[in-house]
Amino acid sequence: MNNFVKAAAAAMALTASTIGAAAQDWTPPGPIKLMIAFAAGGGADTQARLIAEDLEAELGWNFIPEQVTGKGGLNLAMAIKDEPADGTVIGMVVAETLGYNMYVAEAGVTPEDFTAITTTAGFQMGIVARAEKGWTDFADVLAAAKGGEAIRFGTMSDKLSDLAYLLGRENGTEFNIVQVRGGRDVLNGVNAGDMDLGFMAGIQTAGVASGELVNLASALSTPLEQTPDAPMMSAFGVDYNADGYFMFIGPAGMPDAVRAALARAIEGVVTRDGSKSNGMITKAFGGPAVLQGEVLDGFLAAEWAAAEALLAEASQ
Amino acid sequence: MGALDYVLAGVAAVFLGPEMFSLFGLPVSLALAMVVLGFLTGILVGATPGLGGPMAMAISLPILISLFGYSADALLPVMGFLIGVMKGATVGGAVPAILFNTPGTADAFMTTLDGYPMTQRGQARKALKVAHVSSAAGDTFSDIVLIVCAPFLAIMIERFLDLPEKTALLLLSLSFIATVVGGSAGKGLIATGLGLLAAFVGTGEDFYPRLSFGTEALSQGFGPAAVFLGVLIVGELFRGIEDLWREKARSGQVTQYDLSGDQSLGWADLRRLAPHIGRSALIGTAIGALPGIGSSLAATLGYTVAKARHKPGAGDPKMGEGAPEGVAATEAANSAVSGANLIPVLSLGIPGNVAAVFLILAAESIGGFTPGPSVFRFTETAVNPELVIAFGLFTMMMLANLMNWTVGGVFMRSLGFLVRVPRQLLLPVVLLLTLTSIYVETPRFEVILFTLGFGVLGYLMRRVGMSPLPFVIAYILGGRLEETARQAFAATGADPFFLFNRPVALALMVLALLVIVWSVRPKGEAS
Repeated sequence: MNNFVKAAAAAMALTASTIGAAAQDWTPPGPIKLMIAFAAGGGADTQARLIAEDLEAELGWNFIPEQVTGKGGLNLAMAIKDEPADGTVIGMVVAETLGYNMYVAEAGVTPEDFTAITTTAGFQMGIVARAEKGWTDFADVLAAAKGGEAIRFGTMSDKLSDLAYLLGRENGTEFNIVQVRGGRDVLNGVNAGDMDLGFMAGIQTAGVASGELVNLASALSTPLEQTPDAPMMSAFGVDYNADGYFMFIGPAGMPDAVRAALARAIEGVVTRDGSKSNGMITKAFGGPAVLQGEVLDGFLAAEWAAAEALLAEASQ
Repeated sequence: MGALDYVLAGVAAVFLGPEMFSLFGLPVSLALAMVVLGFLTGILVGATPGLGGPMAMAISLPILISLFGYSADALLPVMGFLIGVMKGATVGGAVPAILFNTPGTADAFMTTLDGYPMTQRGQARKALKVAHVSSAAGDTFSDIVLIVCAPFLAIMIERFLDLPEKTALLLLSLSFIATVVGGSAGKGLIATGLGLLAAFVGTGEDFYPRLSFGTEALSQGFGPAAVFLGVLIVGELFRGIEDLWREKARSGQVTQYDLSGDQSLGWADLRRLAPHIGRSALIGTAIGALPGIGSSLAATLGYTVAKARHKPGAGDPKMGEGAPEGVAATEAANSAVSGANLIPVLSLGIPGNVAAVFLILAAESIGGFTPGPSVFRFTETAVNPELVIAFGLFTMMMLANLMNWTVGGVFMRSLGFLVRVPRQLLLPVVLLLTLTSIYVETPRFEVILFTLGFGVLGYLMRRVGMSPLPFVIAYILGGRLEETARQAFAATGADPFFLFNRPVALALMVLALLVIVWSVRPKGEAS
């Protein structure tokens, strides 16, 4: 999270109670269809379902979860865009869906075609290798690559592949970039020796704690919580970042009261100690990270612009 | 702690964990109760036409997690339930295959080849007994191999197979399935091609949905449930309904299968079946230990090898015409995969089949246990809690095996009566169950249409004598083949010849070609 976002989030927290008063008045007119852009049973899917369960228990709302997976969340985006914008259809994606993925897909939609409701949790995206490689930070990887070693760099999205490419190019070398389906596949590949290092968005936490994996660099705009000493990508000439969040969206044109009510309700359960979703998010993603309203819109606009710049930079 | 202490601690974790209730003054731990519950659920799910273990695991995982939460105490009960479901569904899966010719999963397809003819001859209960004994034996053998070899075997295999070798191995599996299974190499290759085509719709790395003709319905692909259940179950139902209709038109009534003659499974039978069970258990275990190949290939290989070795005596049925050996070879092989499949899961965190994926997801969601090389460190001074949990898992697997031998047997024997249900009632019920279960899994109406479409395809394939198995396996492996090949290409620095300039990959490719050449050779000059 950059400083602007942090300050704005703090300001928003102060004013949140006033928005909240109005929001409490809205209740969904019927069951809410909850589209989930992640495979059934996975960490992200479990998060979405637990949030729905908490909301059902606390507010008596009803949810009908449905998997709409694939294409980095774009399948969900295309499916939700023409649904009614009255709060009865929402979907869970990652911020990258409305950012880089949507920009690159050229599917005829922009973030304007959607209502961003709230984020729930962020990623602790690091560049990770097995400890037995003997690397302590990303500079060691560059040294090995320049020494002639063919280095396989695992990624899990087009955006991350671009970042890996830039990390090589800006340092006068080239990686063999292996793009796979998700963070778990990167971890598997690194553990199996199919890849030498890779981007991981929090899944590395246990491995780093036990000393088997090493965070070689932070891929965020801030240091990693677990390894604050790991260098940032900017130290290697790449001024882009892989900041990202899990996020609820709806179709464009959702009334402000509905948007605020949904955002407040979701924020309420994910930030409340002892709720099922809070327990899960704290364990798997290092705690809730909530961006809403104009702050969230601002973040997404910045991501869209960054996607354009990153793509231009990487295709030079 | 020594190795034995770790084993004891693992056993204790299962039996002396949080108590659920007490039976005659003895406390019954939550983990123990969940294994039993999971097993019973699994066997029911497996025995229901149209349902399968992986689907039950997918539905129950979020429910379990919300029931048990994220405490360290939750891990063993949740994993226990999932292991129970996995084992129960494996043994139960033979029931619909044998009784109704409708396998719930691709693994059980080969079971129908001899199991259903046995039912038609009135030997349904005997077929169920054979399936049960073989399945339980294969499973137990595989678990023992897992417990003894897990730590070092998986790491050895992974180091040996790099991405190009994995790609070549998948190609070899496909060419083997295509040419050896159906009896006709040409039809098998066509079915494989169609399966790959189905797998490539709506998938791929590009943001543009491939082969979807720009439609929303196709952009998410067909989904495995629609493909498997459509081709394997709905196709069979269509054929079954047409058969009934013709039979009725010809003779005015419908033949009803019943139980007739000797249903017992004696020592003489077991002695005859033992070599087939043993061989298939070995094949299943070996395939299971390879990451990402899976149980359908094991079942096929087990059956094919048994067919080649089978020498029926005078008056005994041949393989494919109702030989108990066929049921035994298939069930032992596909059940032997489940234990060995956990070798790459526990020591590397890499799943080989769908069931294993859910075990990893459970471990990951709850925390406290990260499948990977760290699990098997026998630390002397500090306790390695993950190793204790690993032995806890092994204990629960052995418990589930015990259930399998006892309760599973009673259950399987008792289901023989189902064969008396009139087929004209049963077939529509199975169709309804299948379509319902698909809709519950993916609530989109297109998926029902896809299922019926694949049902028609499955029906046509059966009518032209084309085995649906190469189609289904090509669909399963298609996505993985594309991914692995793409990754191998990237990892070798965009080397287009990655399959041919490494000795192991080259050897596997040559084998893949030889399998095809050998099976399309003119039959005259072969012998």
